[in-house]
Amino acid sequence: MSEDIKVEKVLDLKGLPCPMPVVKISKGIKEVEIGQVVEAITTDPGTLTDFPAWARTSGNEILKTDQTGDEIKFYVKRKV
Amino acid sequence: MDEKTKTELLTLFKNKLNRAMRYYLDTCTRCGVCTKACHAYASTGQVRYTSAYRHELVRRLYKKYFKLQGKVWPAAGEAKVLEDMTIKELYDAAYSCTGCRRCMVYCPFGIDTQMIMSIAKLLLVGASTEPELLTMLADMSIEKGKSMDVFKESFLTGIKKLEGQVVEKWRSEAGETVIPIDVDGADLLYVALAGAHSIIPAAAVFNAAGEHWTLSFFEAVNFGAFVGDPTRTTLILDRIISEAKRLKVKEVCICECGTAFRVMKHLTGPQPFKVSSITEVQARYIREGRIRLDKSIVSDTVTYHDPCQIARNGGIIDEARYILHHLTDNYTEMTKEPKYNWCCGGGGGLVAMGEETLDFRMTSSSIKADQVRKTGAKILSTACENCHTQLGDLNDHYKLGVDVKFLSSMVADALVR
Amino acid sequence: MQTLIYIIMVPMVYAAAAIFVVGIIIRLVVLLRAPANPSTLQIYPEKRPKWLWAIHDTFLFPTVRRHKPVLWVFLILFHIAFLLLFIGHLELFADFQLTQIIAHDIFLGQGFVGLTLSICLLFFLFRRIKSPVREISVPEDYLLLLLLFLTVLFGSQMDWARTWYEYGELTVEDYRAYLLSLVVLKPDLPFATTFSGHSFMLVLHIFFANLFLIFFPFSQLMHSILSLPMNKLRRG
Repeated sequence: MSEDIKVEKVLDLKGLPCPMPVVKISKGIKEVEIGQVVEAITTDPGTLTDFPAWARTSGNEILKTDQTGDEIKFYVKRKV
Repeated sequence: MDEKTKTELLTLFKNKLNRAMRYYLDTCTRCGVCTKACHAYASTGQVRYTSAYRHELVRRLYKKYFKLQGKVWPAAGEAKVLEDMTIKELYDAAYSCTGCRRCMVYCPFGIDTQMIMSIAKLLLVGASTEPELLTMLADMSIEKGKSMDVFKESFLTGIKKLEGQVVEKWRSEAGETVIPIDVDGADLLYVALAGAHSIIPAAAVFNAAGEHWTLSFFEAVNFGAFVGDPTRTTLILDRIISEAKRLKVKEVCICECGTAFRVMKHLTGPQPFKVSSITEVQARYIREGRIRLDKSIVSDTVTYHDPCQIARNGGIIDEARYILHHLTDNYTEMTKEPKYNWCCGGGGGLVAMGEETLDFRMTSSSIKADQVRKTGAKILSTACENCHTQLGDLNDHYKLGVDVKFLSSMVADALVR
Repeated sequence: MQTLIYIIMVPMVYAAAAIFVVGIIIRLVVLLRAPANPSTLQIYPEKRPKWLWAIHDTFLFPTVRRHKPVLWVFLILFHIAFLLLFIGHLELFADFQLTQIIAHDIFLGQGFVGLTLSICLLFFLFRRIKSPVREISVPEDYLLLLLLFLTVLFGSQMDWARTWYEYGELTVEDYRAYLLSLVVLKPDLPFATTFSGHSFMLVLHIFFANLFLIFFPFSQLMHSILSLPMNKLRRG
């Protein structure tokens, strides 16, 4: 699915209600180097708006969003 | 701390000094009646968690900079200079206080500790030492308001995914929208949290009651209020107010979130719409016969935790009991008088800070765990997201063996066609 | 020595009264000019009429009665005794028909009011030494109790001397003459108030009372005025 994106770290955030996924990604992103990518897997549809809004304010970039069934996968690149 | 920062912080302090705040800062006689009120003190026995101790930290600064006594004779009231150490103490006081205002019930004068702690929180924001996480979440909410058009598409996709689960609870008539969004002239605007659990059961109940409703684009929770930043609080609030005005709704219904309800109910000022909690609205549906509930769904003993911001500070007390008496014959009260209910220990942003505060949340709330255990109930219902999370954590930590449930979702599960 | 006594009994009294009145007025003006809180600060469930319940909360201290019953007994006794002594002092200025509904000598209670007050003050003082009240107390709290205790002790001593030991050198008429001379701005110290055996008690009573009045507007004693509006805020 994401052959072109090299994922450094995977965060399993399935089952967590908002805003916990955002809380976790904001911490998780700091555990990789700038330029590296974190894959976050969520199930709460609220993350579909929370993640992009968080990325804008925190200055990180969402490279891609995949939706398969109930799972939502975000590929987030650390930029700051 | 340099002089410039100090001046800025004192300006922030001064702006908070309205009449009520001055009453509260001028009056405490340190009689000690409030000591028993705080769950953190009751659970740990540490005097720094008594409310008088907490507000005395702020009061010492008040005396030093805004009161003649502290200027002429600082030793009398232990007036203190604002320095880096003070900021640390203020952090401890402000972020160990859940803002439940139980101490306000004990105080002979009714001093509002939450309000005094709002000075501490604002000074922390001014000194950029507030919990980063809360500011980050607040900024995220504000961003959603600013760039609604950008997020609209993904929001609609997300909501569409939930429709199946709503229909499982309540099958809508053919042609009816399961989760209506952006409905101009709807009667009721429902402001949920950005999560499925807060939307699905509510939607089922609205549809069952035949409500002409619409779902808000925004989440109700106000992280700005948690972090005690008036600017952010207002920005987050304004998103919802302008949406409600744009759609010309008659009523704004706030989901099960204590902070959201209290901020919306008390801080919006006069508006063309009324503000209700979902508990109020669901009780109204039952009273008007718009929904009926099946009492056989819940068989275990049920108790109810009154969320501080909704009951003691928001006035929604009887409505929850009214609903519960339609859900079960097996209801047991947690406390004789709801205004004396112990705080869950998770308010004021503590739960939103997640694992960071988990240890403190557990040790400071053993009294709550005891209270839950004493009810002997198997189902612990509540009507606030924060309380729900915290009670769930307490349930695991203290092995209470209860099932923590949202009241609204119990209603949705018991709907009778 | 007589100069010092004069200073305490005349200029210091005027200064204390002025600071007391002007201080309180300034404090109240500052409070009234500050903006009201934008939102309600009410605690629920509410009871109506709200203002009546606010008065109830202010004067009967129901929360203290419930959570610290022993303290409540002392607090109620203290505040009633304080009121009776206040009336007693008013009667030094003039006779009031209203207070004489129950006929009495000036200073009600034959010395027991002062005794009650002293005991209450000692109780308040000693309970502060115990945790957790000790940790939250500041020097101001002890100081006010001590000042009030000394004022009451020397004041009551004069009363006790007259009523219990039949001491007759310093009489109510002497106090009256002295107080009225202050009121009409022609200060005069009757002989007995400065030269009798108990005059030192009067001087000390006035000295501590002066300090108490001077400190009043700048201390937590403002609770006596602010309690009602604060309780109204809680009642909504």
